[in-house]
Amino acid sequence: MEKKKVLEVKNLSVGFLSHGKKVHVIRNISLDVYEGETLAIVGESGSGKSVFTKTFTGMLDANGFISDGSTIMFDGMNLVELKKTKDWMGIRGKRIATIFQDPMTSLNPLFSIGFQISEVLRLHHNLSKEEAKKEAINLLKKVRIPDAEKRYNDYPFQYSGGMRQRVVIAIALACRPEILICDEPTTALDVTVQAQILDLIKELQKEYKWTTIFITHDLGVVANVADRVAVMYAGQIIEYGTVEDIFYRSAHPYTWALLSSLPQLGSKEDPLSYIPGNPPTFTSEIIGDAFAVRNKYAMRIDFLVEPPMFKISETHAAKTWLLDPRAPKVEKPSIIKNLSKRIKQVSSELQKELEIGGEKHE
Amino acid sequence: MATFLIGYTIIALIVMFVIFVILVSRRIIFRNNAKIQSIFAHPLLIYSLKRIGSAFISIMLAISATYLLLRLKSRNSICQSYVENWDKLPYDIREIRCDNVMRNLGLYANNFWEVIGQIFNYFYKILPFPKTLCREDAGTEPIYDAFNNLISYVKVHDCRTFIIDLGISYKMASGSSSNYVIDIIFGERMMHSFRIGIIAVVIELAIGYPLGVLMAKHKDGIVDKIGKTYIISIDAIPGVAYYYIWQLLLVYLIGLPNKYESANFVSWLAPALTMGLTGMAGIALWVRRFMLDEFNSDYVKFARSKGISENRIMYTHVLRNAIVPLIRSIPASILGALLGSFYIENIYGVPGLGEYLIRANESNDLYALQGIVVVSAFISIIAYLAGDIVTAMVDPRVSLASE
Repeated sequence: MEKKKVLEVKNLSVGFLSHGKKVHVIRNISLDVYEGETLAIVGESGSGKSVFTKTFTGMLDANGFISDGSTIMFDGMNLVELKKTKDWMGIRGKRIATIFQDPMTSLNPLFSIGFQISEVLRLHHNLSKEEAKKEAINLLKKVRIPDAEKRYNDYPFQYSGGMRQRVVIAIALACRPEILICDEPTTALDVTVQAQILDLIKELQKEYKWTTIFITHDLGVVANVADRVAVMYAGQIIEYGTVEDIFYRSAHPYTWALLSSLPQLGSKEDPLSYIPGNPPTFTSEIIGDAFAVRNKYAMRIDFLVEPPMFKISETHAAKTWLLDPRAPKVEKPSIIKNLSKRIKQVSSELQKELEIGGEKHE
Repeated sequence: MATFLIGYTIIALIVMFVIFVILVSRRIIFRNNAKIQSIFAHPLLIYSLKRIGSAFISIMLAISATYLLLRLKSRNSICQSYVENWDKLPYDIREIRCDNVMRNLGLYANNFWEVIGQIFNYFYKILPFPKTLCREDAGTEPIYDAFNNLISYVKVHDCRTFIIDLGISYKMASGSSSNYVIDIIFGERMMHSFRIGIIAVVIELAIGYPLGVLMAKHKDGIVDKIGKTYIISIDAIPGVAYYYIWQLLLVYLIGLPNKYESANFVSWLAPALTMGLTGMAGIALWVRRFMLDEFNSDYVKFARSKGISENRIMYTHVLRNAIVPLIRSIPASILGALLGSFYIENIYGVPGLGEYLIRANESNDLYALQGIVVVSAFISIIAYLAGDIVTAMVDPRVSLASE
């Protein structure tokens, strides 16, 4: 069955003007997002994950620009063409909402929680003050803030980090968005709270039926929440597929390296695995495969010509010359081959730990 | 008599109130009455009382320090400005007169303990409760017998009931209707200073804040560039110089009256504008800076992603945050207007408090000097307290409770 696309990104390139020079940090990305799914975008810091999703809400910094020929289709509109803040008003917050990384600073410290939630309700739904308050308390209950009526008038500094992220989620909920972008929503929280927040997002997604785009560098989070995964490197999507595709049938050496360096999957005897070298800087033009210099499977062609997207299955594609029929067969790293076994083992351990932690937290 | 009755009643009420508050806040009485607890043990009230209490001690220390410092002025330099024909008098006569002057000034002391006694005497005079004080130096009056023959002279006792007595201004009597420092400061001088000062504060706030906001909103725009140039020039040029530049512009170019006249409102404008347009620069600078700082913060990004309009973000979210660090100084600048500015009062001939301070210093008018110190100490302590309370009201994170 063909799923409905909510967001269709084609040939998206984003650059920044820096010291009079144009620096392209998103290079020709095409990606479809389907209705109701949870898409995780993973990659190292600086790979362009956040910039990529910022284009969906027109929140690029002032010196950023989207190159000609890029299109982001959303409900028949090309979002690239919206330039003025005014044009974004009906979309930003109302139809595409964002949750940011740091709940500590996402809320205005001088206004009560209630004010900040009902502000959105009154803006987008034209509710009266009383109606907005009632609805805001409902939302607080939805995100499981205890004593919502009492805490309505509290200020952000009276809330803990996890509670603040719940409030941020409540604000995102307020407009019943079609797409929720979560920009590393759990990075700043401790592990037990992280799990609670992820569960909350999953649960609310079932109820509200939105599409989630999850930005993270934590593959643990990806395994927990995502339906599909897109791996980003140096401003490009180098592999995408379902969670199973990425975890069990990954084809790109960068994805292998990323998976191998998960500390949770390492065993105590072996040293921690990491990816040598640094991601490329965007100041000079990248020739060939951007990952080639750090890639131990790199071939001569990787340094010369950029690989195309090779389709592996209906859902799975990767951008590496290794998939070319002429390429030699390579052995995947052993940890990747035994990944499914290892994950099962680790996750059962983790589950136990979380249960204990959760009990403590109660 | 009425003064005493009212005065002591008020003092008694205040003392009872403070004792009541202490008892309630320590939970000795009304322990379980939530309503009384919430009113009389309110953190703001407790904090204010504590601050006033500790301020009282600092004022006492400040007064003692100035009192002792003023005594460091050499005896000769004081007497020179009080004894007529000082240079021409023979040594022993001028010494006798000098001793008399020092006695009249209350500065004559044989030993250290007498100095301490004088300081406490001064405290007694300035503490705000009703008291009748007499001066013995108001002059002499001839006494005649029934046949109109001069018998002798007696000293005149000029007695008066005070709430606060700041002593007598020996040098400033000419031109004033009274020579009591308290009358001169509150009855004559302060009015002129405050008039100019309050207009200046209004100008400062009314132009400074909108200008700062506008500069931040259109950063690197034309308003921002002009504003920055103005702020930098005010910062770079020394105060005395640009006061004269303002005088040049306001008086000689625009044609405002140069000489301050109490009855003529237009003549107040030149000094007020000079003060206000100068003070405005600092306010605009800080408003702009804090606004820009806040503009990069996460809550602004999140507010934007909520779909809130730029104007609403600017005027509701950012402005409120930017004002928090600035609002503390507003009570200080309003109350500071009472004290006046020496330079500006000097330039435009305003007979205000700033001008009084300088003249008192030049002419060794010690009680006037001491009195101004006391008044400005009181004012600044009230201003800081008010600033703290205003900050606590605007910023929910600031709690004045002791925990």
